[in-house]
Amino acid sequence: MSFTLLYWHWLALGMILIIAELFVPSFTIFWFGLGAVLVALLLLLFPTIPLTGQLLCFALASGLFTWLWFRYLRPLMTDRTKAGLSREAALGESGQVIKAPLEGQRGVVRFTIPLLGNDEWPFICQTPTAVGDRVVVREISGNTLIVEKR
Amino acid sequence: MAGIVLVVIFVILVLVTITLGVRLVPQGSKYVIQRLGKFHSTLSPGLNIIIPYIDTVAYKVTTKDIVLDIPSQEVITRDNAVIIANAVAYLNIVSPEKAVYGVTDYIVAIQTLVQTSLRSIVGEMDLDDALSSRDMIKAKLKAAISDDISDWGITLKTVEIQDITPSKTMQTAMEEQAAAERGRRATITRAEGEKSAAILSADGRLEASKRDAQAQVVLAEASQRAIQKVTEAIQANEMPVLYLLGEKYIEAVRQISTANNAKVVLLPADIPAAVRGIIGTLGK
Repeated sequence: MSFTLLYWHWLALGMILIIAELFVPSFTIFWFGLGAVLVALLLLLFPTIPLTGQLLCFALASGLFTWLWFRYLRPLMTDRTKAGLSREAALGESGQVIKAPLEGQRGVVRFTIPLLGNDEWPFICQTPTAVGDRVVVREISGNTLIVEKR
Repeated sequence: MAGIVLVVIFVILVLVTITLGVRLVPQGSKYVIQRLGKFHSTLSPGLNIIIPYIDTVAYKVTTKDIVLDIPSQEVITRDNAVIIANAVAYLNIVSPEKAVYGVTDYIVAIQTLVQTSLRSIVGEMDLDDALSSRDMIKAKLKAAISDDISDWGITLKTVEIQDITPSKTMQTAMEEQAAAERGRRATITRAEGEKSAAILSADGRLEASKRDAQAQVVLAEASQRAIQKVTEAIQANEMPVLYLLGEKYIEAVRQISTANNAKVVLLPADIPAAVRGIIGTLGK
């Protein structure tokens, strides 16, 4: 091996990888870039690390960064909108029964804020409900809601 | 050397693993994940991690509302008229896993469902009802389809009837009917106008006659009062009357004399007697 990797080679590689993330938005190359930057830092501190060790460090650091991200940082990312998530937007919403379910017929529940563009929905409930009860959406089945009593 | 090779392969392995394991799902879609061929989970929008090699993204499903155009079709109403109807449906995939595993192609399935339901609903209506009650068709259509598509995890938000157009011959007949109806109304209106005009002019004449009669009565009463006043003034005192009448008599004679035609004016010699002759009994 006439060519020896110096710390700035790793640094350059890391930065190139981070730039590449801009063009290939998959959020994976980024970790390798960070791993390369870390290896550059290690080489700066300990210039005698062999190539094998450098590559190993690179692979492990990248994996570690990815894992750390998913373990600690991702839970902090909250959903900013429920747009396009109709099921998640509907679940947990509560409404008022305006027509109690009779034998073989679905009841009707009304929501103050329209749910999926409709403020009155037919519903099915396991427990008997009366007009005026508050119910919570547990599942959507087509155009019928499965609800629970509050 | 072996170490280098192994480490390079290891780096590649890590790279591939992370690339396959990290999944970015864009907002507005969900990914259905299969683990070794069986459904495992559904990925929500955002950054997700799956186990590479055993998990695969089997389907990418949009969770935005789908605008589904229902193509035009000929529908026969209960009274055997042919109309051409098309619609547009708005769907939302609530449970992607049900939508992809429950039916081979939910788009085609729902399109045909809406078409057939529309046919059966319009087939139970008369032409006039079908043309005028779109909201009813909408409600029936929604009720008919909702339960069918609930198994596929799809919610039908709304279905709108876009056009309902009768066939060409039907349209011509309907236009003729409408024109005839308008014509009938025009004739009736005209006749009613004439009738009102006749009644009004008769009323006018009646009113005018009443007023004329009243006027004559008033005139007669006025003459009566004038005569009464004159009578009261005279009171068997005939000289002033005689004088006045004599004056008027001479005035009349003078006017006759100034007329420019040939004439013979005979003047009575005894004017008071002549005037007495005119007023008859008064002078006696």
